[in-house]
Amino acid sequence: MSLPEAVTTMASPLRMEYTYVAGAGRSVFLRGLAERRMLARRCPGCEQVYLPSPEFCSRCLLPVGAPFELDGRGTVSTFCVVNFPFPGQVYEPPYVVAQIRIDGADTRLMHLVRETPPERVRIGMPVEPVWVGDDELDTSMTSIRYYRPCDYRTGADA
Amino acid sequence: MRDVAVVSFAQSPCLPANRGDDMAEILLPVLREGLAAAGLGRDDVDFFASGSHDFFEGRTFSYIESLDAVGAWPPISESHVEMDAAWAFAEAWAWLQLGEGDVALVYGIGRGSLPADLDQIMPAQLDPYLLAPLRPHRDALAGLQAAALVDAGLTSERHLAEVVARCLAAATANPAAQKSGRPSVAELLAAPYVATPLRAHDVSPVGDAAAVVVLAAGQTARRLADRPAWVRGVDHRMDTHYPGARDLACSGSAHLAAARAAELAGFTAAEADVAELHTEYSHQEPLLVTALGLGKAEINPSGGPLAGRPATATGLVRIGEAARRIMAGSAERALAHATNGPALQHNLVCLLASEPA
Repeated sequence: MSLPEAVTTMASPLRMEYTYVAGAGRSVFLRGLAERRMLARRCPGCEQVYLPSPEFCSRCLLPVGAPFELDGRGTVSTFCVVNFPFPGQVYEPPYVVAQIRIDGADTRLMHLVRETPPERVRIGMPVEPVWVGDDELDTSMTSIRYYRPCDYRTGADA
Repeated sequence: MRDVAVVSFAQSPCLPANRGDDMAEILLPVLREGLAAAGLGRDDVDFFASGSHDFFEGRTFSYIESLDAVGAWPPISESHVEMDAAWAFAEAWAWLQLGEGDVALVYGIGRGSLPADLDQIMPAQLDPYLLAPLRPHRDALAGLQAAALVDAGLTSERHLAEVVARCLAAATANPAAQKSGRPSVAELLAAPYVATPLRAHDVSPVGDAAAVVVLAAGQTARRLADRPAWVRGVDHRMDTHYPGARDLACSGSAHLAAARAAELAGFTAAEADVAELHTEYSHQEPLLVTALGLGKAEINPSGGPLAGRPATATGLVRIGEAARRIMAGSAERALAHATNGPALQHNLVCLLASEPA
């Protein structure tokens, strides 16, 4: 007796829509991005500067201080080259994803590094944000299109 | 067995939709209140355990955000369950039984308001091949269970309305309740159905809240609370995943969990003065009263979930509310029940008492 042919596929599409609640802390950062501003906040206890900042220092649990603006430039802390394609990919590989230490911040920001061949990117490279046009600005990381190398020298802690 | 007790409980008000606070912002004030009530600092906590579910949040590893309110640096001993936080409580209790430390903090966060439409979300907990493609709406399986109970003569629509009226009236004294009032049974019975025989008020109103329960062992518990609520027995059991394989009018898993918890506790559910039941639907109260073998207990004096269901914090709130009554001296023995899954699939029973074993 032979078994019937096995069922191997079944369509069962799922669609799930959600509300994102950014919270008081992250809202400050996201609203800043919509105005091309990088708003950081400092913990009064441990002096750590967060970018983006939660509402409370995650080490000291103290409310962080008032937002202040950083110019957005920084240096590459580490990076990797994305070499493979995947569904929904925006840029054609290879391209660079980096952790960027923004001058004046103690946390690192993730973004793309473009306008340079991947093989030229190195740890410690100074970079600057490239903002989108006015019509594309939003309360989102997409307000920064990507980072690119720039010609300036950071302070001693770079 | 080590003597372990609940020494404090705190919760945020259950809101229909909290659009101002992220996870950490909801949790931090509750955590502070829970620790302060026991005279503890966060450095005194040996173990943190939490419960929440990504399906309510719409992103992976969502609970990590809540650790910003715990203070996870320097590194702490910490664990999370992807389910109701009552199961985080069970893990913390087991951790203390192993003698790894003396103080454990359990927290639960539930944000039922984030999904734009729970009818999109709830089918995802079902069998993905035979049930999920049918897209039963959020209350469909509960309606089947309620109809089975009514048909078996185990409850009636009038009785369900009486349960709702009693819970909403009790909730008028609970500042954390999302919903309360004094509707008459006749008013309730005049409301339209959402899934026969259930009406809108038979369905617990989902909302957003956080809850914190602090557990401590032995002499530490005696030092931290005047009247600790001793955890005498905890057990949880699960029914089969496919609802079609179950008799929905009863709960073998709740019955077994209660029997095993009673063995550990040295007393049974029938001896509890108070029972806080995780009734997501009104019909689950008569079902659970039978399955657990409750006797004289006052049921859901807080109003229970029919007055507010903060998703994955709901079960932990039951344990906290039951413990609170022992700590306050208004009960000697209490039962708390929590559930996960559709139509009471998975059930946890916790028996608490004013005296250790």
